[in-house]
Amino acid sequence: MSKSKKTSSETGIRKRGILETIWRYRVLELMCLPAVLFFFMFSYMPMPGIYVAFVKYNYRKGIFGSKFIGLDNFKFLAESGKLFDLTKNTILYNLAFILLGNFLAILVAILLNEMRSKMFKKVSQTLMFLPYFISQVLVGLLVYSLLNYDTGFVNEILLALGKAKWQPYSNPSVWPVLIVLIHLWQQTGYNSVVYFAAICGIDAEIIEAAKVDGANAFQRIRYIILPSLKPTIVILLLFALGGIVRGNFGLFWNVIGSNSVLYPTTDIIETFVYRATMSDFNFSTASAVGFYQSLVGFVIVMLANLAVKKIDPDYSLF
Amino acid sequence: MAKKKDIDFEPSNTKIKIGASDYIVRGFGYVLITLYSLACVFPFLIILGTSFTDETYIRTHGVQLIPVEFSTKGYDMVIGSGNIWKSYGLTIAMTLIGTTLGLLIIAMTGYALQRKDFPLRNVISFYIYFTSLFSAGLAPYYLLMAKTYKLLDNYLAVLLPLMMSPWLIILMKNFIKQIPHEITESGKIDGAGDMTVFIHLILPMIKPALATIGLFLALGYWNEWYQSSLFLTTKVAVKPLQYTLYEVVNKLDALRNSVAGQFVTLTDIPEQSVKMANAVLATGPIVLLYPFVQKYFIGGITVGAVKG
Amino acid sequence: MKKKLLAALLTVSMVIGLAACGSSGSSAGTGSAPESSGNDSGASANEAAAEIDTSEHVVINYLTTGDPPEAGTEKEANLNEMLGELNKILTEKCNAEIQIYYIPWTDYLSNYNLTLARMDGSVDLIGTASDWLDAWPNAKNGAFLELSEDMLKTYAPKTWESVPADHWDLCKYNGEIYLMPEDNFAQWTNHGWIYRLDWAKEAGLENGVHSWEDMSKYVLWVKENKKDLKYVWDSDGTEYAQMANGWIASHTDFVAIDGICSGALWGGTKSDLYKVTTPVMTETDSLVEYAKLMKEWSQAGIWPTDVLNNTSGSNRDEFRVGQVGVEQHHTQTWTDLCSATAQNTIYKDDPKAETGFFYFGEETKNVVALSITHGAMAVSAGSANPERALMVYDLIRNDKDCYMLFNYGIEGKSWEIDENGLRKTPDSYNPDTENINGMTNYWWGRNDDLEVKDATRNWDAIDKLYAEYDKIKIDYPYGQFVPEVDSIQAKIDNCNEQYTNYMKQISYGIYNGSAEDIVAEMQAALKSAGIDDVTAELQKQFDELYK
Repeated sequence: MSKSKKTSSETGIRKRGILETIWRYRVLELMCLPAVLFFFMFSYMPMPGIYVAFVKYNYRKGIFGSKFIGLDNFKFLAESGKLFDLTKNTILYNLAFILLGNFLAILVAILLNEMRSKMFKKVSQTLMFLPYFISQVLVGLLVYSLLNYDTGFVNEILLALGKAKWQPYSNPSVWPVLIVLIHLWQQTGYNSVVYFAAICGIDAEIIEAAKVDGANAFQRIRYIILPSLKPTIVILLLFALGGIVRGNFGLFWNVIGSNSVLYPTTDIIETFVYRATMSDFNFSTASAVGFYQSLVGFVIVMLANLAVKKIDPDYSLF
Repeated sequence: MAKKKDIDFEPSNTKIKIGASDYIVRGFGYVLITLYSLACVFPFLIILGTSFTDETYIRTHGVQLIPVEFSTKGYDMVIGSGNIWKSYGLTIAMTLIGTTLGLLIIAMTGYALQRKDFPLRNVISFYIYFTSLFSAGLAPYYLLMAKTYKLLDNYLAVLLPLMMSPWLIILMKNFIKQIPHEITESGKIDGAGDMTVFIHLILPMIKPALATIGLFLALGYWNEWYQSSLFLTTKVAVKPLQYTLYEVVNKLDALRNSVAGQFVTLTDIPEQSVKMANAVLATGPIVLLYPFVQKYFIGGITVGAVKG
Repeated sequence: MKKKLLAALLTVSMVIGLAACGSSGSSAGTGSAPESSGNDSGASANEAAAEIDTSEHVVINYLTTGDPPEAGTEKEANLNEMLGELNKILTEKCNAEIQIYYIPWTDYLSNYNLTLARMDGSVDLIGTASDWLDAWPNAKNGAFLELSEDMLKTYAPKTWESVPADHWDLCKYNGEIYLMPEDNFAQWTNHGWIYRLDWAKEAGLENGVHSWEDMSKYVLWVKENKKDLKYVWDSDGTEYAQMANGWIASHTDFVAIDGICSGALWGGTKSDLYKVTTPVMTETDSLVEYAKLMKEWSQAGIWPTDVLNNTSGSNRDEFRVGQVGVEQHHTQTWTDLCSATAQNTIYKDDPKAETGFFYFGEETKNVVALSITHGAMAVSAGSANPERALMVYDLIRNDKDCYMLFNYGIEGKSWEIDENGLRKTPDSYNPDTENINGMTNYWWGRNDDLEVKDATRNWDAIDKLYAEYDKIKIDYPYGQFVPEVDSIQAKIDNCNEQYTNYMKQISYGIYNGSAEDIVAEMQAALKSAGIDDVTAELQKQFDELYK
């Protein structure tokens, strides 16, 4: 079918061809229409406003009437001398979140699928969702209650065991591990649902047949389940890559907060910008930073999507 | 159909010899998942315990797993005004309406976009995906919503933007892609239009996908506070549930880290027990949603079901 | 084809988006029309105030930061009852009523600015502040209406008369008045250490704490001798800047310029007000001494070891009930803590309990009065009724009945006068629901001519301190200086960032290495962040303004 379409456009009757095609697929087009309108209204309509990143925004004159000042709003990030370190921290944390997060989510989903007790599945999956509901402020508070030097749970236990106390809040090098752990703790239950659903989507008969053929659990996982998760993994990765320079502000701000001792290993773009603009609030700077993050994300995703398309066009996003 | 599948699934399971590898995987699974579940429930129990602890005790002894000095003052404060029940009502209503509408639109779009013969599928996919990369930032979005669309103090400002996301649409597209194209074609041979195929053949087959994405949508609505904080001013008496939690838990923190904190003194500082009670109440019934949704994961998309 | 379609869609969205934004921009422009309204009032200025057209009843929205009382509660009912009374008077006097538009504390800065950016007439009177609520940036970006002299004379005559000309000058930017200052209200928000005077006496400080050395003696003594306290100071790690500023004030005659950034990096000196200095760069020896002292306190365990992450406590409330021995805040907070109010149970539990205040700068007599724009009222440039907004403000600021209602509530219900002529609360008073002052958040035009002293305050101690302040204080000298920071904003932000990061470590004594090293490191970081360029630019602007 796609072949015949190609030839028709090549033979030069393009115009009629297009109209005809549009008419032929009118129902599918109408099915997409609500979503297309939605993104037009809530995403494309505000987009020209990104111009605010290039002006000195005057409320009375509006975004488009304000004075154009070029790249001045990007200056503070560039001049901070930290742009590289901040971008690096943000990307490395996100990479850890994406890679470990998906690995764990897949592991949990596969293991859950192997469980036979329905009760166990229900209870454990429900419990796994709990961290997702705990607001980041409370996460910060709980982490402090657990880890602080004077009264933290961990130190009480160490003390009871006759060991020396641990002082993570003045030791920047332990935080990459801690932050990643907290993130995984909070997100794995939620993320595993996608994979769990995907596994449930696998034709049960294929698995049955494999069992009959004597495939053991490892072989079933390796040759049936994992390959069938590939498309889900690929789109998850592509989406995650688009936001790779956007940090999880809530997590970092509430767990690390204003502890500047820990910044060398925990400062990400969002937290830096938040602190720096706290006493100098303006929309333009924030938009400028957002634009920078979008651009980097865009380039990375385009390259990744291209690579995926080369390997297997079926898996690419567009 | 799913029921029937269930029935012949169980006995067939017993016929097959369970090998050592199965025991290893299952044993490992039980241990790991039990540990992780405990790690998830433990902090929540601390929140629960603290929410029932007397404030003076919290101040000197910190957060508590088991309330030593029992007190329900935190809950009294939150429930006191009775507004929390209205917030519940609002949040539940928004969750139901938003999830249903969103799910329908996402499923339709996902179906159309996965049709290999649909020439616009890549354009529209890109059109949708692009919005996850670029956004204009706060001010333009706010002004558009508040001034151009006039959605200030309107619940639609919260309901609409959460209805779909590029991620959920593409995820749906991927789920539906697993259904063989022959099903669409067989429907068409029988003379059904695209819409009929979608409603009568496709929708019943994608229950796990609908359950997953519906769950995500519902959680999104349940946890929503951001749009509310932007567009629902104090003129709106009843706010979504999580927004009230967000306010109570964050205001002290927000103030203390701001320039105003050097000058302004809050008269009604939310106590720890109130924050915790709020967190417990705001989580509330949504945790029971998952077991309900989970039953749709069993069965799944099967070619066999179609053939049969 | 794909590309074309996409391009077309983008173009359409651009055009519509542009049109939408353009039209909203222009409507805001015509709606506010600052120049024309200025002319209008100019024409009517000489006519009698009685001829002001108030035939149409209007609602004036007053924007303030703060959390509203929850809907449907008794608290809200009490507020509405007061507003009902107040609006009767306002309707009678200027055919208008007032409504409160709250910006809740969470994300207040962002929401405050978004609300102003809307310019749709939803707010009229705007509470603002030059040091903590973006008054000048908003004046510059067009959010506030220019208030012409004629307008003020016509619509806010009492305010116009009561504010002296030199104070109006401090509310001008580019020759236009934007703010109506709270300039007749005695409040001291200079910071210092609040401590237990009775314990200080036990520690051998007979006259209390009057220097950092005394303070050091006090905290170390309390740590040793009051073992059942939670901490000497259950700090949450946010006081680093005030402590550092306090140390500088107590050891130099530095006067900081407000509102440039959160840290008090730039300023002049009392001996040479208009020469910009940066004590953080020049007072190296003193800062090293400070860093050493704070390390000593830190190692003695005065505050939690992980102080920068300690958000679990609430030191002020702990001070009220005697669980800590120190609070770091300003004079106004001390006036509360030193008084035997119901909340402050230390006085009930221990009749000997006394609370002292060591204000920063006491040693050097370096105390600067609060800028008069620490609280001020502005009129929104988007307001449809700026004239009436001014009339309402004039009444709640200067009319006795309106003032009492708006600040204290209904007399006999929320407050009454006692035998000494002081303000007290009736027996039926419930502080949780009837604290009107805590609901109107009127910090933008309080007036000492109308204030009635609160009977619960420890006025003996307070008046004594205020008298002491009045003897040594200087007025805030840079009220008229609104720096043009566009060209140096990036450098200011980066300096501030470096400064706060290092100062947190220095002020809480949690730095690694020697005091000399950390101070040197901070100074190097500030240098590379461009502190000298900012200083030079500010000096240039100082010279233009003051020479």
